[in-house]
Amino acid sequence: MNENQSFDDKLMEAARALETEVAPEHDLWPNIENAIARPSRTRWNTVFAQAAAVLLLVGASSGLTYLAMNEKTPVGTLITDNTGLNYERASFGGHYTLGPGYQDARSGLRAQLEEELERLSPEARAEVEKNLNAIRAAINEINRALADEPDNVLLQELLLSTYREELSVMMKVDRVVNAAMLRTDI
Amino acid sequence: MAAGAAAGDAVTAVTEQGLADELEWVERARQADTSAFESLYRLHVDKIYGLCLRMTGNASEAEDCTQDAFIQAWRKLAKFRGDSAFSSWLHRIAVNAVLVRMRKSRREQDRIQAVTDISPAAKTVGDSGNLEDLQKAVDELPAGARRVFVLHAVYGYSHDETSSMLGIAVGTSKAQLHRAKRLLAQQLKQNGYES
Repeated sequence: MNENQSFDDKLMEAARALETEVAPEHDLWPNIENAIARPSRTRWNTVFAQAAAVLLLVGASSGLTYLAMNEKTPVGTLITDNTGLNYERASFGGHYTLGPGYQDARSGLRAQLEEELERLSPEARAEVEKNLNAIRAAINEINRALADEPDNVLLQELLLSTYREELSVMMKVDRVVNAAMLRTDI
Repeated sequence: MAAGAAAGDAVTAVTEQGLADELEWVERARQADTSAFESLYRLHVDKIYGLCLRMTGNASEAEDCTQDAFIQAWRKLAKFRGDSAFSSWLHRIAVNAVLVRMRKSRREQDRIQAVTDISPAAKTVGDSGNLEDLQKAVDELPAGARRVFVLHAVYGYSHDETSSMLGIAVGTSKAQLHRAKRLLAQQLKQNGYES
C-alpha cells in the first residue's frame, strides 16, 4: 500500500475489500417457504367481508327492485316512517347527476387506488379488484336499467347507494394501506 | 490472447444465461411458483445475508432480516417492473427490512450506548489478514454511521442512493460517513494501526 496514501483512503480501500457475500449459518428457505405458503390473514379480510356485504346488499336491493317493478310501484309514493310522519320518496326526475364533491372524491380515490393496490400482496390485490369489479358491474347493470326507466326511483336510489358503497370500499383501502405503511414502510 | 478471448466469451455467455434464468424465475415466481422463488433465493441469499450482516452487525438479526426481505420480495413481486436489476430491487427491500427490524430491536439501542466501549483491534488497515478487525470495528459503529458506511464504502452506493435507501438527506449521509471514518480512525489508531 502506498506510504503517502492517507489513512482515510486506506480505510475506504479496505472497506471495499470486505466480503459482500456471506453464507448464513442456517438454511433460511424452510422458514421463508412456510411464510409465503401461508395465506396472509390480515385486516383485509374485514374489507373483503364488507365488500361481500355490499354485494349482498346490491343483490337484495335488485330483488326488491324487481318485486317493486312487478307491482308497478308508482314514483313519488308516500312513505310512513316509524315516527308516523308521511313524506314523499325523493326522486331525481330522470335527470340523474352526482354532485361535484362526490365526483372529485371518487376521481381522487380511483387515482390513488392503483398505487395503493400495488402495495398489497398479489392475492389480496386480486380479491379487492374482484370485489370492486363486482360493484362496478352492478353499477353498470343499474345504469342500463335506468336508461330504460329513467324515472324509476328505486333504481336511482339503488344506484346512489351502490356508488356510495364503491366510494366507501375505496376509502377503506386508502385508510388500511396508509395505516399499514405507517407501521412497516420507511 | 485467443484463449483469453474465448474465456471472456464463455464468461459472458454464462452471465447472460444466468440473467435469462433469473428473469425466467422472476416471471414464474410472479405466477406464484415457489420453486422458481427458491431458485431466486439460492441465487441471492449470500448477497442479501451479507448486506444484512454488515448493516446489523449481528448474525441472528441478519438471518431474521434476510428472511423478512425474501418474504417481502415475494409479496411485492408484482411491483417489480424490471426497470432495475432484480438484485438492486432486492437490496432495497433488504435495507428496508433491516431498518424496520432494527427499529424494533432493543439490542440496537444497547449497541448505540456501547459505542464508546470498543474492543481492541489488530495492527494495520488494508492488509487482508486484518479485514476481520475492520469488520469488527464497523460492526461496533453507531447504527446510523454503520449503515451509511456499509452502503457507501463497502457496497459502493453513491450518497444519493444511500440517502434514498435509508430515507435520510444526502447531507446526513455525508455527515454520517464522515463520523464513521472518524470513529473508525480513532478506534483503529488507538489500537496500534498506523496512518
